[in-house]
Amino acid sequence: MSSTAKDINKVSRRRAFSKADRTTLSAFVGIPLFFHLLLVWIPALLTILLSFTYWSGISINRIKWAGLANYKNIFFDTPAFWEALKNNVIWLGWFGLIATPLGILLAYQIDRQIRGHKFYETAYYLPVVLSLAVTGIIWNFLLRPDGFVNGLMGRDIDNAISFFGNYNINIYVILTIASWRHIGYIMLLYLAGLKSVDLSLREASALDGATEWQTFKKVVFPSMKPVNIIVIVITIIESLRAFDIVYIIYGSSAGFPILGTLVFQNIAGEGASMKGAAYAVILFVLSIGPIIAYLRATFKSDVQ
Amino acid sequence: MSDLNNGISRRSVLKGAAVGGLGLAAGGSLLAGCGSKATGPLAYGARSVDAGPTAQNEALIAAYTAKTKNEVKYNATESNAFQNNLSQYLQGTPDDTFEWMAGYRMQFFAEQGLLADLTGVWDSIGDQYSESYKIASTGLDGKQYFVPKSWYPWGLHFRKSMFQDLGLNADNVTNWDEYLKMLDGMKKKGLVGFAAGDKGGWEAMGTFDIINARVNGYQFHVDLLAGREKWTDAKVTDVFTHWAQLLPYMNPNVLDLEWDGAMQLLLQKKAGSMLMGSWFGGNFKEQSDADYADLSIIPFPEINPEHGRDTIDAPIDGWCVAANGTNNDGGADFLKFAGDMEGVNATLAAKDKDGKLIPMTSANSGQDTASYDPFQKEQLAVMAEAKYITQFLDRDTRPDFAGPVVGPAIQSWFKNPKDVAKIQDTLQKQWEALPPLA
Repeated sequence: MSSTAKDINKVSRRRAFSKADRTTLSAFVGIPLFFHLLLVWIPALLTILLSFTYWSGISINRIKWAGLANYKNIFFDTPAFWEALKNNVIWLGWFGLIATPLGILLAYQIDRQIRGHKFYETAYYLPVVLSLAVTGIIWNFLLRPDGFVNGLMGRDIDNAISFFGNYNINIYVILTIASWRHIGYIMLLYLAGLKSVDLSLREASALDGATEWQTFKKVVFPSMKPVNIIVIVITIIESLRAFDIVYIIYGSSAGFPILGTLVFQNIAGEGASMKGAAYAVILFVLSIGPIIAYLRATFKSDVQ
Repeated sequence: MSDLNNGISRRSVLKGAAVGGLGLAAGGSLLAGCGSKATGPLAYGARSVDAGPTAQNEALIAAYTAKTKNEVKYNATESNAFQNNLSQYLQGTPDDTFEWMAGYRMQFFAEQGLLADLTGVWDSIGDQYSESYKIASTGLDGKQYFVPKSWYPWGLHFRKSMFQDLGLNADNVTNWDEYLKMLDGMKKKGLVGFAAGDKGGWEAMGTFDIINARVNGYQFHVDLLAGREKWTDAKVTDVFTHWAQLLPYMNPNVLDLEWDGAMQLLLQKKAGSMLMGSWFGGNFKEQSDADYADLSIIPFPEINPEHGRDTIDAPIDGWCVAANGTNNDGGADFLKFAGDMEGVNATLAAKDKDGKLIPMTSANSGQDTASYDPFQKEQLAVMAEAKYITQFLDRDTRPDFAGPVVGPAIQSWFKNPKDVAKIQDTLQKQWEALPPLA
């Protein structure tokens, strides 16, 4: 695009607004902005501030400046934090390397209209309709020591398979449960994307003698960039903000520590809210970092 | 004539009605006067949605309303949710009176000015309670902020029929060696000796409490929980050393079971003994009267002869009045009734859905212990043997330490029992990192 064309574009976009337009616009921008600041940014900033204080959560006049003490305590003296971080990283790895690719694979197969694709589509999407909390309740009923699966195997609670209590396997049990829902979610997103890929592109690559895999890798996947970004961002966010399923199954105890439950455990209950705030800030930094980096990289290449 | 008569009679009827109305009004105020001051409607916050406690509360509230004509609005919350939300609840628009626990957990909120002073209530009903209950109801400033309802002991529970079948005598299990020998015998018969669950993160605190009290004594235990002793002390290591000796006799899925899972092991006769608060007897009774009659309790065995069996966890449940409530007088008036023998009797008369009385050991000394069922009498005996009474770990130390720190620490010990030194170290460091209270 030449520079004159750009200028023309710019000029044509600038429009004169009437007074009524301006009032309407400022109301439509201003009111949501006000609530956004009030309900999102101010609490977020206060949380960051709180994480640098000592406060039991009661009587604001007793709040004391603590500097980095809460973070020092978390990083050096709270083994649960590192355990939680490890679990979140495994979660991310599992979602990124197994669940999300599986969702994409399913979407691709269903998009090819394999036999019974309508059935598969519905079957895989069904868990997404359920909230994470309900997912947790269902699987808890199934896998508890006195639950359905152990009952089916004729095991009583004294020799039941410990799906949630055995620390060698429980993370994979939880991840399987989480994937049960995540795969369908990714599948649907990707399916919507695939439908928008120009059929002629595929035909052309088929005529050129490309294999199915080559077509996907070289033609379909790159042409779905916007959906890919969404899928990656969702995978990261879902892995880091994981909370519901674990909370339903383990309660607010540290039975299975992940960052989400640590935030809750320290903010809810009787006191020590500042440590919960510090966990929330750590979680925030972890989530925002990779996402900003990724979006920047993507937009940069778009501009070029 | 007839008209006149009619007129007179009509007038006199009206007059009579007016007098009657006055009389009724006077009677009403007299009635209210002799019951208590008219304190108006109030709200009651229950810390349970279970059938038993709900029936008790409804009976108590009905009796109170019948006596004072004060309407009581009943709000029930599931106990974990209630606890998690308590700070916010008390700082917002709480119910006037709410169910809570005695000891440190009450003092913590009293210190922050969130509980109303109940010294007046204690002035009128205090003589119905022994001194230990008054101490447990007293804040750090010497004023009372709590009215006790009931207590229960933590001890070793077992089934009489099982002991009979195994040829065991509970009277012979008085010290650690005898207890371990008994557990070993149970293990050889394919039974779980010591049923345990800690998925909830609080259940095993009771085991820590009792072993610490048995090994190191009452004073060390309370000093440790108040931060006057250090968690890195070799005495704490000793607690875990003893606890580890129980591990081979526990069910392998401790972290997969909550308290009720452990109870199921005992109920189904798959486990020989369980350390738990006797409150779960209500669940046995719900199962069947026979199961309840089979339930028995003994004190946790002696470990260190110096301390014998002199300490027991016996938590007291009861009520507080929220300072931020709209009707503090109403809340206090309600608790004056609830804590009085009249209210206690109303609570004790409550029946479950099958029409059976709900067992309760009241804190009020007016409850006739002769009316206790055999299991309650055993609880009383276990209690009577103890010289020192503690509440429970999560009621005897800072709430921001017990739940978020000690709970996970014990769970991580179950995951890796060899990590004792590391666990002690982080416990101490996290205690030191707590915000100063004042």
